[in-house]
Amino acid sequence: MTALDQNLIGGDFKIDALSISFGGLKAVNQFSLHLKPMELQGLIGPNGAGKTTCFNLVTGVYQPDSGTMVLNGRSLVGLEPHEIAKAGIARTFQNIRLFGDLTVLENVMVSYHMNVDYGYFELFLRTPRYYRIEKEFRDKATELLKVMGLETRKEDKAKSLPYGDQRRLEIARALATHPKVLLLDEPAAGLNTQEKAALMGTIANIRNLFKTTILLIEHDMKLVMGICEKITVLDHGDIIAVGTPREIQDNPKVIEAYLGVG
Amino acid sequence: MKLVQWVTIIVSVGILTGINYLLEENINPYVIRVVVNCGIGMILAMSLNLVNGCAGQFSLGHAGFMGVGAYTSAAITTVLALSPFFKTDMGVGCAIVIGGLAAALAGYLVGLPSLRLKGDYLAIVTLGFGEIIRIIFLNIEEVGGARGLPGIPPKANFFWVYLWVVITFVALLRLLRSSYGRAILSVRENEIAAESMGINVARYKVVAFVISSFFAGIAGGLFAHFQSFIDPNSFVFNKSVEAVIMVVIGGMGSLSGAILGGIIVTVLPELLRIFEQYRMVIFPLILIVLMLVRPMGLLGHKEIWELFRKKASS
Ligand SMILES: Nc1ncnc2c1ncn2[C@@H]1O[C@H](COP(=O)(O)OP(=O)(O)OP(=O)(O)O)[C@@H](O)[C@H]1O
Ligand SMILES: [Mg+2]
Repeated sequence: MTALDQNLIGGDFKIDALSISFGGLKAVNQFSLHLKPMELQGLIGPNGAGKTTCFNLVTGVYQPDSGTMVLNGRSLVGLEPHEIAKAGIARTFQNIRLFGDLTVLENVMVSYHMNVDYGYFELFLRTPRYYRIEKEFRDKATELLKVMGLETRKEDKAKSLPYGDQRRLEIARALATHPKVLLLDEPAAGLNTQEKAALMGTIANIRNLFKTTILLIEHDMKLVMGICEKITVLDHGDIIAVGTPREIQDNPKVIEAYLGVG
Repeated sequence: MKLVQWVTIIVSVGILTGINYLLEENINPYVIRVVVNCGIGMILAMSLNLVNGCAGQFSLGHAGFMGVGAYTSAAITTVLALSPFFKTDMGVGCAIVIGGLAAALAGYLVGLPSLRLKGDYLAIVTLGFGEIIRIIFLNIEEVGGARGLPGIPPKANFFWVYLWVVITFVALLRLLRSSYGRAILSVRENEIAAESMGINVARYKVVAFVISSFFAGIAGGLFAHFQSFIDPNSFVFNKSVEAVIMVVIGGMGSLSGAILGGIIVTVLPELLRIFEQYRMVIFPLILIVLMLVRPMGLLGHKEIWELFRKKASS
């Protein structure tokens, strides 16, 4: 298996009526979303709308008060975050969370650990299988870094990368888990206009290259319009609109939420 | 294993035997004592480094696990006296390994519930466990209670201690240069990200703790069979602090740093004997200055050979 051929069709992910409150605050209320295989959908909304909280619910960082989520027929509610990752959901973080003191290559290789099939004794004795698997991981990671345009930095510490490369490494690391569904939390935040456009191009490519379903959080409505088939809009924890980019653009509720009226 | 590795093993055993012979024939016992204690310090520091430096957890009860190894192995070679075999070199070697395994088990039992805690809380809980373990030994009359356990066969000489230094170093280095090692390091770097990439964070904290406890137990067994006497005071809280100091001044996460730390913390107080009663003022002062000058420890996260490589390339 190479870094690229992983799933045949991407994941089918049904989220139904997920809710969570923090104290009195309903951070996410009755959130539902259906991601069909290989779809690229957008999740947008103003500051504090609950977008990141949705990702935290879906990846098991928070347990929902109620609601269901089913990936390719398997329920994910109640699983630990690492089990959800193994089930095929990967994510990036809005506030970058790389393994700063590890190299770029090692950052990606951590994601392959779930497939490791040598044991402790084999690593102490360095058996042929240890060498073979380490080489396989290294080669796969290098290939993946090439796709993300990071292979020249692969021996550098992750924390030494420029900001834009760190965002790309977050995506590379998530892709290395062989996700059926990839969740991207404001991957373009902090980039300049040019970098943003380039990154959106990369994301559109990733879907075809890695055959994965993608849900993209973005603050800037215009950015997602170009590449998403369908967009869900959150405001104060509620879904206020769902539709094609065109429908969303003209929706008065969305305009109101973004302009902060009412 | 490759041929190179076999050759390395044979050569290092040869070197150790040679030095051992020279030491025992020609050097005064005080120097031997310091050199052997350095070795025990190195093993202790390397093992604690796995938890405090690599996994990013703060354990403050390492002396407890050292004590488990010491008492278990010493009990086997003295009071239990299962067979005369346990008085021979090989028998003592086996007893020390069993002591390490007992310490690993203790590490598992302590680590499982407490590693859910973070930072200071974990430090306090491990400190507590370390003391509990010590107090248990204090109250087992069969191993001498407060009087201690004398008459342990003094089989752990320079050769055995430094053989274990090499084993510990190679084993931990190989662990860190593997997928499991990357998993442990990712826990230190960012727990939430590690979980999201499929790393079972709770499990790898326990794994680091258990492996670390094993080697601490080995250090304890060697200590017991070198001193030929142990009592609960050999494993007081101070000993845990000493281990932490070794790791911190060597550089958190650096194996060669831990070795350096083990040497410094063992040798420095001996060298300072010329200052007599001011020794225990000067020693901490040196540590404080060291921490002010190099807060990341002597080697930081790096290994000693990486420092030189960096210089050569730039
Ligand atoms: N762990 C938590 N405890 C308490 N409140 C929280 C927690 N996490 C999120 N919130 C609150 O939930 C609301 C939604 O936050 P969230 O981070 O999901 O917003 P967002 O849509 O991602 O916003 P942004 O565009 O700024 O990233 C906010 O009011 C936030 O303060
Ligand atoms: Mg957010």
